[in-house]
Amino acid sequence: MATKRSHATMEGKPTTLTSSNTASSPYMPQFEHFRAELDSHHERRERCIKASRDITAASKKIIFTLQRVRTLGEPLERKIAAGNEPYYAIIAAQLKAVCGDLQGLNAHRYARNISGGCQEYIEAATFEHYVATGKLLSYAEAAEQMRVLALEEAEMKGDTRHPGVELTPEDYVLGVYDMTGELMRFAITAMATNGKLPVPDVEDAQRSILTDMRALRSALEGLEPGHGPFAKDAEKKMQVMRESVEKVERALYGLVVRGAERPAGWMPDTSDNTRAVEVET
Amino acid sequence: MSTNNAEMMQTGIFEDLQRKIDADSAVKDALRDIVQTLEKQDRVTQSVLSRAHSTKSADLEPVLAAAEASIKNEVETIQKLSELASQHPYYKFNYSWTRTMQDACLSVMLCGWLKGSAQDAGKQLLSIEEVGQVMNVPVNLKDRDAFHLTIEEYLLALISLLDELARLARNSVTLGDHRRPILIAQFIKDVHAGFQILNLKNDSLRKRSDGIKYRVKEVEDVVYDLSLRGLLPKA
Repeated sequence: MATKRSHATMEGKPTTLTSSNTASSPYMPQFEHFRAELDSHHERRERCIKASRDITAASKKIIFTLQRVRTLGEPLERKIAAGNEPYYAIIAAQLKAVCGDLQGLNAHRYARNISGGCQEYIEAATFEHYVATGKLLSYAEAAEQMRVLALEEAEMKGDTRHPGVELTPEDYVLGVYDMTGELMRFAITAMATNGKLPVPDVEDAQRSILTDMRALRSALEGLEPGHGPFAKDAEKKMQVMRESVEKVERALYGLVVRGAERPAGWMPDTSDNTRAVEVET
Repeated sequence: MSTNNAEMMQTGIFEDLQRKIDADSAVKDALRDIVQTLEKQDRVTQSVLSRAHSTKSADLEPVLAAAEASIKNEVETIQKLSELASQHPYYKFNYSWTRTMQDACLSVMLCGWLKGSAQDAGKQLLSIEEVGQVMNVPVNLKDRDAFHLTIEEYLLALISLLDELARLARNSVTLGDHRRPILIAQFIKDVHAGFQILNLKNDSLRKRSDGIKYRVKEVEDVVYDLSLRGLLPKA
């Protein structure tokens, strides 16, 4: 009992001290105002962080589904498209949830908190667009897609100028960087299963997923990111992207050199295919 | 190769992105020029105000006049900053000036505190609105996207003010002024009480405000030293 009481008095003391301070400080009204403002700021920020996390998770699932597709440049099978619908619904719901927090003055306030989710979404959206059409989804198209996703259907009809959730050019570019990693995985899987490099357009014999990756690489290498946080992120992703292109080039080399010796129907033996293993990591 | 590019990508996608990035870089550069001017001017103000540590309260008048003149220069630069920054989304570029605006805010508040505490029952803490009036900028804007002084900038500057006053409490004693430490002790306690009701997250405001309790103690020690030796002025 004795110890319990002393604990209680110890806890009680600072509280009364604070409250007597609080009562006498002439600055309390100002600080009460600050508290209300900071609380709502933190609420908005936390909503954005949560939305970003959920959008990232849903986008990753969309990407997993797309990695099971074996065609390139053809509309997605209904089963695949339908399978991804719930994930797009999650993304739309999360964008709607934070749309109000990202308007007007606050449009860029929580950019850092939501940008992870935006990048992951762009990775999924550009990857899906490429798998289905063999083309790169442009910034304007991606921004419009994201804007519309964040709007309720009723609003979409009424107000075509509602900004929705704004996609920054930076998030778009960083998402495209990540998308090249998915192209690498897609290409390697196709080569391992079909023994062929995927071709997006049967009409154009010069094009393959590898020439497209090289085109992306040279476009991204040509981009001058300026200075600031975006330049740092871009530099890191640039390295990963170059490795992705090289992984596909190595795999293709293996296919060309050893593939010619293979009898028809021969499948690569996974146990000695060290390159493929290295590539998957 | 170029025909392949055209097949996969619409022409101009990356050129367009580059134009957007370059436009932002140009804004950043223009803002940085103004912010650097403000930084230099604020350094002048701070060096004037630092004379308060070696000047008796009674002789502060010329120091404060010089500081106010220097602050006027800062306000002119802040107007230029405000004009340019208001043409762009506030939070897109605010990282480029927020530190400097905090420093300028500290100068205004320190000058205001010294002025107010020199008079009997003078006003010591300039409210965020009063700082905004001195700077001629709006504060805590919510309804429109334009340049302003934020609550975070004001509160961070206030914490710096407490650091400066804790130092001033000791230096006042050295100058033979035994009244000012009591004023400072009460002021810091009152502000500390205000910070205690804020729900701070793990951010820079939280980290900086954690240090206020040490300032409270430092100044209480000074007052204690004075009272122990019977040096406190009779109330």
